[in-house]
Amino acid sequence: MKHMDLLTERLTRAVAQRSSRRGFLGSLGALMVGAASLPLLPVARGAQPPAEKDHASTQDPASCEYWRHCAIDGYLCSCCGGSQSTCPPGTEQSPVTWVGTCHNPADNRDYVISYNDCCGKSTCGRCLCNRNEGDSPLYVPFQSNDYDWCAGSHSDIPYNCSTARIVAPAR
Amino acid sequence: MRLKLAAAAAALLLPAVTAATRAVAATPPLLPADPAGTSVVLASPPSPHWVWVNDVVFNHMPDGQAILVDGDSGRMLGMLNTGNMFARVVLSADRKLIFSPETYFSRGTRGTRTDVVTIYDAAKLAPLSEIVIPPKRAAIMPMMAANDLTDDGRFLLIYNFTPSQSVSVVDMQQRRFAGEIETSGCALVYPTGPRSFFSICADGAFLEEQLTDSGTLAHSQRTAKLFDAVHDPLTEKPVRVGDTWYFVSFSGQIQPVTRTGQGLRADPPWSLLQPVDAAQHWRPGGLQQLAAHAASNRLYAIMHQGDLATHKEPGPQVWVYDLATHKRIQRIMLKNPAGSIQVSRDAQPLLFATFIGSTTLDIYDGLDGRHLRSVTELGTTPTVMVTP
Repeated sequence: MKHMDLLTERLTRAVAQRSSRRGFLGSLGALMVGAASLPLLPVARGAQPPAEKDHASTQDPASCEYWRHCAIDGYLCSCCGGSQSTCPPGTEQSPVTWVGTCHNPADNRDYVISYNDCCGKSTCGRCLCNRNEGDSPLYVPFQSNDYDWCAGSHSDIPYNCSTARIVAPAR
Repeated sequence: MRLKLAAAAAALLLPAVTAATRAVAATPPLLPADPAGTSVVLASPPSPHWVWVNDVVFNHMPDGQAILVDGDSGRMLGMLNTGNMFARVVLSADRKLIFSPETYFSRGTRGTRTDVVTIYDAAKLAPLSEIVIPPKRAAIMPMMAANDLTDDGRFLLIYNFTPSQSVSVVDMQQRRFAGEIETSGCALVYPTGPRSFFSICADGAFLEEQLTDSGTLAHSQRTAKLFDAVHDPLTEKPVRVGDTWYFVSFSGQIQPVTRTGQGLRADPPWSLLQPVDAAQHWRPGGLQQLAAHAASNRLYAIMHQGDLATHKEPGPQVWVYDLATHKRIQRIMLKNPAGSIQVSRDAQPLLFATFIGSTTLDIYDGLDGRHLRSVTELGTTPTVMVTP
C-alpha cells in the first residue's frame, strides 16, 4: 500500500464506495482456504504457503499464484475462456471493480490491478482462487466479501469469473 | 442330531430330484403389482428431528436447492428447487407451509428477472402459489438473517441490496407484497416480536423497526452505538433465545442484545474463551457458527484455532455453554470439521453439522454430543440449516 499513488487512492475510494462482488465467492474461497489442512476437501490453490510457489507459476495467468492475483477472489477467467484482462465470450465485464497493488517479480515493479468480474452466465467453476485479506460482515457492505456485486452490471447477478487488469504502474 | 441326519438324507436324495420339481419348490409367491403414478406425501407437521439443508450450489448458482433430511434415520426425504443465489427456506408458524424467497431469470441466466416468495406444501414439497416481490433481494453469502418471519408468522421480511439497502415486507396471510422499508446503512433482519424487527448497522448501532398491522412502517429508531464494528466486529450470524439475540465477535465475545419495552438493550458481554483458550488462539468461525437450544438454555459455537481473520473458517470442535452461567459445559469433538451447525427444538435435541466444502451432514446427540450417524452425498455446497 505504501507504493500507491494518487490514482490508486482514487480507485480505492471508488472501491470503498462501490466495492465489488469478489467477496461473495471470496467467502467460499476463504472457507476453502480454511479447509487447507483438511483431507478430501476442495482447497483454493492460494492456500499454498509461499514457500511452495515457484517463479513459473507467478507468470501463469491460469495459476492462483500469478502475480496479478495478489488480491483476487473468485474463479480465474484465464481458466474459463477469457484471460487475465478479458471476459470469456458472451459475458459482460462488470463496471464495478476492486483494486489491489501487486508486485511483478519479472520486472520487479508494483502495479495497480483492477479485478473486474465477468457476468451474465453461471459460475465457471474452474480455478477458484482466494488470496486476500480479511473482510467485514455484511453490515459494512463496501468492506464485505459476502455480496455478489455482479448485481451492479447490466447482466444482473449471474457471476461467471474474475479478471485481473493492469490499471497503471504503482509509483 | 436329528436335524443333521435329515440334512444328510436330503443331500443324498438331491441328485434324484428333477429340475422341474426344484423350480416349483423354490418358487416364492408372486409379488403384487405396484401402483403407478404415486409420490410420497410426508407427515405434517414435520418431525422436530427433520432438518432443511439449504444449498446455494456455488458451481451452478441458478440451481439453488433445499434438501430435507430425517435426523433419526439419516434418510433424505425430499428437496426443493429454489432458483438463483438461494439463501434459505423459512417455515410457517404451523410448519405446514414453506416460504422461499427466490430469484429467476426468464432465460435461465438472462432475460427478465423475477423475484418471488414461493409457498410450498410442506407435506407434498410442491408449490402452492407465489407472491411476486420487487427484484431486489440481496445476492449474498447465504445466512439465516437474509429473511425471516415476524414472531406471529404474519410478515416475511426479506433483506434487499441493489446496492441500496432495504427490507421487503410480505404479508403471508393476505399473500401479497406489503411494502418496502429503507434501512440505509443497516443490513439483514432480526425479528423481535409480532410487529417488530431490527437490522444491524455499519456504525455499531442497530435500527429498530416497528410495523403496522398492514405491514407498513409504523416507526423506526436507531440505537446509540452499541458495539465496535471496526476492531472486533460482531458477526451478523447471531442466534435467538426468547427476547435475546446472542451475537459473537470475531474474537469470541458474546454480545447479548435484548428487546425491552424501551427498545433494544445491549447486555454485558462475556467471552467464549478462558485465558488458556485465548493463548491457544481458539476462536469461533463458520457460516452458521452458532446454534441455541432454548429448552436447556444452551449455546453451541463452532471453534477453531486461527488468527483474527479466520472468522469464516470451519472448526473441529463445538463448544457448549450454559446461557445462565456463561460457563462452558462441554467440548464436542466433531467427526468432520463443521462450518454450519443447527440444533432441533425438542427436549431430546439433535445437533446437525455440515460444511460448505463438503457434502456430508453429521448428526450428533444434542445433549451428550455423541456422533449418531452421517449422511453423505448431500447436495453440492450446503450452507445454513433450518429445523422445524
